[in-house]
Amino acid sequence: MTLAAQRDLLALVLDALIPASGGFPGAGAVALDHVLAVGAASADVQSLLSRGLLAVEETARADGAPGLAALSANGREHILRRVEASQATFFEALVRHTYDGYYAHPTVIAKLGLDPRPPHPRGHRVETVDLPDLTRVAARGPIYRPA
Amino acid sequence: MMSAGNPMATDDRIDVLVIGAGAAGAAVAWMLARAGIGVMCLEQGDWVDTRAYPHWGADWELHRTADWSPEPNVRRLPQDYPVNDANSPIAPLMYNAVGGSTIHWSAHFPRFRPSDFRVRSLDGVAEDWPIDYAALEPFFDLNDRMMGVAGITGDPAYPPKSPRQTPPIPLDTLGATMARGFDRLGWHWWPSDSAIITRDYDGRRACINCGPCDMGCPTGAKASTDRTYWPKALGFGARLVTHARVREITLGPDGLADGALYHDREGRLSEQRARAVVLAANGIGTPRLLLNSRSARFPDGLANRSGLVGRNLMFHPYAMVRGEFDEPLGGHRGPLGCSLISQEFYETDLSRGFVRGYSFQVARGLSPIATARGGSVGDRVPWGREHRSAYDARFDRTITVAIIGEDLPEAHNRVDLDPALTDGHGIPAPRVAYRLSENSRRMLAHGVARAQEALVAAGAHAVASNPLLRAGGWHLMGTARMGRDPATSVIDAAGRCHDVPNLYIVDGSALVTSAGVNPTSTIQAVALSIADGMIRRRA
Repeated sequence: MTLAAQRDLLALVLDALIPASGGFPGAGAVALDHVLAVGAASADVQSLLSRGLLAVEETARADGAPGLAALSANGREHILRRVEASQATFFEALVRHTYDGYYAHPTVIAKLGLDPRPPHPRGHRVETVDLPDLTRVAARGPIYRPA
Repeated sequence: MMSAGNPMATDDRIDVLVIGAGAAGAAVAWMLARAGIGVMCLEQGDWVDTRAYPHWGADWELHRTADWSPEPNVRRLPQDYPVNDANSPIAPLMYNAVGGSTIHWSAHFPRFRPSDFRVRSLDGVAEDWPIDYAALEPFFDLNDRMMGVAGITGDPAYPPKSPRQTPPIPLDTLGATMARGFDRLGWHWWPSDSAIITRDYDGRRACINCGPCDMGCPTGAKASTDRTYWPKALGFGARLVTHARVREITLGPDGLADGALYHDREGRLSEQRARAVVLAANGIGTPRLLLNSRSARFPDGLANRSGLVGRNLMFHPYAMVRGEFDEPLGGHRGPLGCSLISQEFYETDLSRGFVRGYSFQVARGLSPIATARGGSVGDRVPWGREHRSAYDARFDRTITVAIIGEDLPEAHNRVDLDPALTDGHGIPAPRVAYRLSENSRRMLAHGVARAQEALVAAGAHAVASNPLLRAGGWHLMGTARMGRDPATSVIDAAGRCHDVPNLYIVDGSALVTSAGVNPTSTIQAVALSIADGMIRRRA
């Protein structure tokens, strides 16, 4: 599989993991670069991804399709469920890195209603909530054992 | 790297050599230096540059499971050493830097309670401490002033405390929601003592509620000891050597500790001589160092005639329970750690099926990636077409209650030396063997059921739980414990090794029992009391 083909297939897989929905982008659009970067930084992860993606295509072919790209969204998810069962290590790592890349992306952060900026130095404003009445708790008197 | 056989001698003997610049080492160094005692501290890590914290980048959360992981085996920085934890259901966590694990702690700051020092007398288990709450109280207070504690007095779970330095960290909607749940059940709860200042204090800036305290605090509001004790200790003349990894503690012909061999930042083996040595390298690092310091006089490890060095390892086993709510809770803002605590089930009640007890800790909500990964419950959000709705049901709509149970000391839970694994200097690495006791299992099961009850009372429509958190070994205790009898303890009430009276141990290793709360406040109070004794005996 060429690098370009692997990249295209990975984007399809990521879109199946987190499909575009409710105004949120699919993971193929926003998490792909992160997953590729993780693979580029680790030969072990790269090897795992390459072998896993081959397994995706082989599973699709075993199901009678020319490849994952030829299937409907339902069909792709069906194939990936089978790969998840047979290639658990690959799949768990892929989902983890996909979630990491997706939920670190500024577009997604903004869709969650958060300000896509670093937490420092501006910090956050915490809603002012009256401290619940501690009278009841204090009125119990000491609940520790003297020693 | 030089061989171990040809060390370079450095300065002449100093008064006290402290090994480890974390919570306890910093406190001891400050107190001794303030008294005019010559102190040098060897720390294998470095100062953490404020600009190095991930908080400055939009991708901050990606660092939590990589270079800012609390697990040294994940982080694998040059200053870390590996820990073989294959035979433990709980992974030890630590940080190696000036400030030690206070760099990445959440700064939850409860004290041990009076009964925690009398477990044998009160409950017939473990051992009594040779010191008690009353003796430690002035050191708790002193330590609170040095660290800066946010909280509110009047908690009926404790003897009266001195005024807290700043008001408590904000409960926000999340904390108030959970407090109402405890109220409906008539259970104890209280805003947690946190070593995070909510007002400017002692030259440090107040918390800005940025959130990820577990990856450090660029503001300096969180009391990591690089921001609290160390600047003052250095001001009193203490010396701090970073990138100094101690290989072994050396003995003089009189059988007393006379210094340490350490690898400097270039890897050269150096020697520092001292009149007294203080070990503050945490509950795994300290027994590792003692066991690596063998001699004809101590063939089984320094100060180990009892055979107890490395034994009686206690973690705090944690179980986690998460509730899902209908409304947003604002939980991703504000200090990550504990906003409130409940000690309803802290003291022993044998009708519950276990001895001793536990606390509930109510932490903040989960950040975006942590939500997707399932947080400390570990049940990641499902992928596929149901992902969006499942994620949205959780994000900013969950409260996680942690059950922190008292772990009782058991000799088979231990730290020893791995026969093959070494650190970057070829020093044998620690190996941990730990089994969760049946008492702990019952305690956590009770806590999970009660936490579910509390979450439902607070309005949760669904709950999920993790019966034992693997990445929860924050607290490393008991591996060189304190006691009166040299046959059943490693150090005495003054912190001196029974076998080597000028060798002191001041970190979590010294703790006799673990209590059902976070230990740092108590570790530091014990360390200060030991330092106070050193000063008094010198006077």
